[in-house]
Amino acid sequence: MKLAEIRDVVFGYGQTPVLDRLNVQIGTSEFIGLTGPNGAAKTTTLKLLLGLLQPQRGRVELNPTGPKGKPLVLGYVPQNIASFNAGFPSTVYELVRSGLYTRKRWFGLLPAAEVARVEQVLKQVGMWEFRKRKIGELSGGQKQRVCLARALVLEPDLLVLDEPTTGMDVEARSSFYDLITHQVQHHGRTVLMVTHDLEETLPRLTRLLVLDKRIRFDGSPQEFQERMDLRTNNVTLPLYCCYDDEETKPRAAVQEGVL
Amino acid sequence: MFEMLQYGFLQNAFLAGILIALVAPVIGVYLVLRRQSLMADTLSHVSLAGVAVGALIGVYPMVTAMVAALIGAILVDTLRRSFKAYSELSIAILMSGGLASAVVLMSFNKGASRGFTSYLFGSIIAVSQTDLLIMAGVVVLCALFFWFFWRPMYVLTFDEETAQVSGIPARTLSLAFSLLAGLVVATAMPIVGVLLVSSLMVLPAAISLRISRGFTMTIWIAVLTGLVSVLGGLTASYQLDIPPGGTIVLLLLVILVVVLLVKRLFSRAGAASAGTERELAN
Repeated sequence: MKLAEIRDVVFGYGQTPVLDRLNVQIGTSEFIGLTGPNGAAKTTTLKLLLGLLQPQRGRVELNPTGPKGKPLVLGYVPQNIASFNAGFPSTVYELVRSGLYTRKRWFGLLPAAEVARVEQVLKQVGMWEFRKRKIGELSGGQKQRVCLARALVLEPDLLVLDEPTTGMDVEARSSFYDLITHQVQHHGRTVLMVTHDLEETLPRLTRLLVLDKRIRFDGSPQEFQERMDLRTNNVTLPLYCCYDDEETKPRAAVQEGVL
Repeated sequence: MFEMLQYGFLQNAFLAGILIALVAPVIGVYLVLRRQSLMADTLSHVSLAGVAVGALIGVYPMVTAMVAALIGAILVDTLRRSFKAYSELSIAILMSGGLASAVVLMSFNKGASRGFTSYLFGSIIAVSQTDLLIMAGVVVLCALFFWFFWRPMYVLTFDEETAQVSGIPARTLSLAFSLLAGLVVATAMPIVGVLLVSSLMVLPAAISLRISRGFTMTIWIAVLTGLVSVLGGLTASYQLDIPPGGTIVLLLLVILVVVLLVKRLFSRAGAASAGTERELAN
């Protein structure tokens, strides 16, 4: 089942196009990593998908319903959002509960089952003991876990994460990725995550997208590794060595002496 | 002390003060968290231009001040989106524009300059029954707004993009909030004065943010701080014959300093006891 589709999208800031004929389809229960060089428009792609930006050409289509036949629910964790708002006077519990305040839940009592889910997701991300703490008192990794819990509380069908592990140490990163993997494998959610951390994420992903103005690689992590391994003797190759686009790849690689 | 309340003008001033203290700090908390602390200042300068227009064309000044503040709020919101990378630029542009217009408009009406002084610095004799009615209306409007929208406002204040993804009409809500802030600024003017109205919004928020543990608590502490400062400031203003706006703001600053000192003492004491516990454990 297709949850979302980006079709022939062109987008630019001012006169400079940053995305040119972007095509992506997102299905169910996928753990998709989105990577690419700096300035490759990864965050822009997420914002287009979420409707925060409008394409100049092409279309972004979200399936009206999720895999369970109910209206499609989106979850979003922007980059470094909790650290940016470290001074926000909220307890962990208040912030996670705010994930329930969508269009239909502006006033009146929240359904008991949904309020119970706040406790459930806080336990899932290991932050229940910290529920009365102010978010500013948490570490970077804990803040990101809280923001993840806030996105999970509505049980999203499609969870979009923008470099969620920035600033975390190796241990915190690994445990964060385990959490996400659990959400895909046991709750059937689809996750689209911007990442530069391929070493840690590749074994967990089901699909990798390499973006550089358009999609340059779209395949399984195994295909990606095979493609990179063919050209290296334990040398770390630049990302563009995996590009499907044969025109750009060899020229750039030859210039840098890696092919 | 309570004998001063036998005067009608003081009853009006206290009633007005209570009404303002109920809403200004709430708006202030949201302004500070949305990184728009200077917006109240901007709107007050624009409101002053409205007062000058009112005096010039013979319309009740608070009404023209409110209209000017509403226009100012729309412009702040529009300019903020035009200068996304430098959003504070919209504040600077409107603040200077508002003050410049007020000064020029006032020069056309030299006889009214004495009245303008009371709008600049606040006056406890400036509050009329009509002002009180308008203030009460604005308080009711604020109460209704936050009753219906405090949940989406919370999400919007934490992060506008997540709010949009959650289906909250972020732009409309943000504009409605700016308009409400404009109304509160314009109605608070007669008592606190244009130059100090933003302090009554921002300082209670600053105090509250230092001591509260949750969002709801932040709002309540800010309102309580606002009430204490307004009632204390008005009393001192009457007893010592000094301007009310300045007195209220100075009282708020004293509260802020005391809160900061007490917090520092507590954190030092906490660190010292943690150190002793560690030593004992070793």
